[in-house]
Amino acid sequence: MSKKKLHKILVYALLVIGLLTIILPLYITFITSFKSTSETITNYLSLPKKWYTGNFTYILSKKGFWRALLNTAVITAVVAAGDVLLMPMLGYSVGRRMNESKKWRAFYFYLLIGIFIPFQVKMIPLVQMMSALKMMSPVGLAILCIGSTTCEATFLYTGYLAGIPRDLEEAASIDGSSTFYTYRRIIFPLMQPIIATSVIKDCLWTWNDFTLPLIILNRSPQYWTIVLYQYNFQSEAGVDYGLVFACLCISMIPILVIYLFLQKQIMSGLTSGAVKG
Amino acid sequence: MYIFTISKEGRYKELKKDTQHQTCLKKDYKRTTVLMSIPGAALYTFFFTVPVCLGVYYSFTDWNSIARSNNFVGLQNYINALTDKRFLKAFLFNFRYTIFYVAGILILATVIAMLLNQRVKGSTTFRALYFLPALFSSVTVSMIFNQIFFRVIPAFGDAMGIAALHKSLLSSKDTAIFGILFVALWGALPMQSILILAGLQTIPHELLEAARIDGANRWKVFRYITIPHLIPTLSVVLVLAVKGGLMVFDQIKILTDGGPNNATRSLSILIYNDAFKNNRFASAMAEAIIVGVVVAVISYIQLQISNKKSVNA
Repeated sequence: MSKKKLHKILVYALLVIGLLTIILPLYITFITSFKSTSETITNYLSLPKKWYTGNFTYILSKKGFWRALLNTAVITAVVAAGDVLLMPMLGYSVGRRMNESKKWRAFYFYLLIGIFIPFQVKMIPLVQMMSALKMMSPVGLAILCIGSTTCEATFLYTGYLAGIPRDLEEAASIDGSSTFYTYRRIIFPLMQPIIATSVIKDCLWTWNDFTLPLIILNRSPQYWTIVLYQYNFQSEAGVDYGLVFACLCISMIPILVIYLFLQKQIMSGLTSGAVKG
Repeated sequence: MYIFTISKEGRYKELKKDTQHQTCLKKDYKRTTVLMSIPGAALYTFFFTVPVCLGVYYSFTDWNSIARSNNFVGLQNYINALTDKRFLKAFLFNFRYTIFYVAGILILATVIAMLLNQRVKGSTTFRALYFLPALFSSVTVSMIFNQIFFRVIPAFGDAMGIAALHKSLLSSKDTAIFGILFVALWGALPMQSILILAGLQTIPHELLEAARIDGANRWKVFRYITIPHLIPTLSVVLVLAVKGGLMVFDQIKILTDGGPNNATRSLSILIYNDAFKNNRFASAMAEAIIVGVVVAVISYIQLQISNKKSVNA
């Protein structure tokens, strides 16, 4: 009995240590963003003596910040819409046809190669192509992002479809339903859990991505995403750490709010796909 | 083929009619699946295959951003890269970094997942809070730690009178790698732990119970039941971690940008600088392709090995 108790205490102790490692940096970010410049220099770990909101009002009064927020929201929305529209169709076709013909099986492997090739290999030509096509803009980036999600989407969707029996499609086709109608009315609804997984992943990635925006959008401040805004803000704010932390704080809030409401879906969504694969 | 074998025997007339109808359906099925895969496949081809092929082509030329013409130079860029001390040093850095990173991910994520899997009060709250870092951009995380390393920890060290903490981890050649590792692990562990936690929950409960009744201690249960069942999950985690370690960019770009004294110049940083700062496109491409081949080969071997070892596959 006492051994069991000891075990429990040990588990709690370790869990709390881990929790502190996670929370402490976030706590420092939060409190420092409410400190005035003079206080950030003298006072690191304790709560601000006076809750100073100047950092936040400064950033919120910046046009560039709102523009970056809007850009990021637009990019993420376009990626989400494009993914929901295009990728399940591709996944369905490949997932079903690859068991019927060798050509489709080869096509399936072709779509998966991207998982193994690191991003740096395509980075330089991509920049050249994007600038030649005048796509160095948020919408151009969004289209590029949709293309970049193909591998993982195909992987997740074909894996999921293998678990859906074909009986329903057969029945529908006997009843005279066209393939596309069957897809739209039967397969697409059945695929919803895995579509949610894929789209949540892609949205989180698009919202937080740094490398692609850095090479595609960094040249013109009007195109900055929120991550690029932070990155460039660091030099603007200089030694004013309260300001830097306030900027970080504000950019974390949208995701935290979404997480608060959709916590269960996000967590199970992010994990379900990978484990099955 | 499945749609076309539905007719029953002995109903000749209907069978014939059905066959006609089925040929029509078959045509529709074939045409529709092709049409439905075109948009996604086109995007993928355009934004992945085309740039990769272009990159391979450019790596055999002397292309740079200043001279508009490019001449074919054969393997010269590859030879230059492989004999370049900067490149080899970056490779060495990534190799060291990846070993620490992969070990850190596998060990710590498994430990965290097992802790979160214990049935104690408040475990759902712990899970929700442990997941927080996975939501934030690596840039945000790196910037937070940048400030903490440079200001909070030294100040803390001064206040406590610990001289070792006075200097930032990142400002010394030998310790900067550990600062980067810490930040990268802080950001990556939550996701990986939750993945492993999901893997742990697929282990049948009866199995664990039976082992305990048979007198197996915790270590034996872990070694002979938990680990074999976790292999498929761990192999996914391992492949992702190796790729992540070999391609680390964001954290280094923010924390040290390759410094101090180029001690943390990773392959990705080197390629990025060669491409966009030094305008040596062709050499950067050759470097990127060498790295790409190494990563692809390692991932492929890993998947082959773990497929053989898995119990459920």
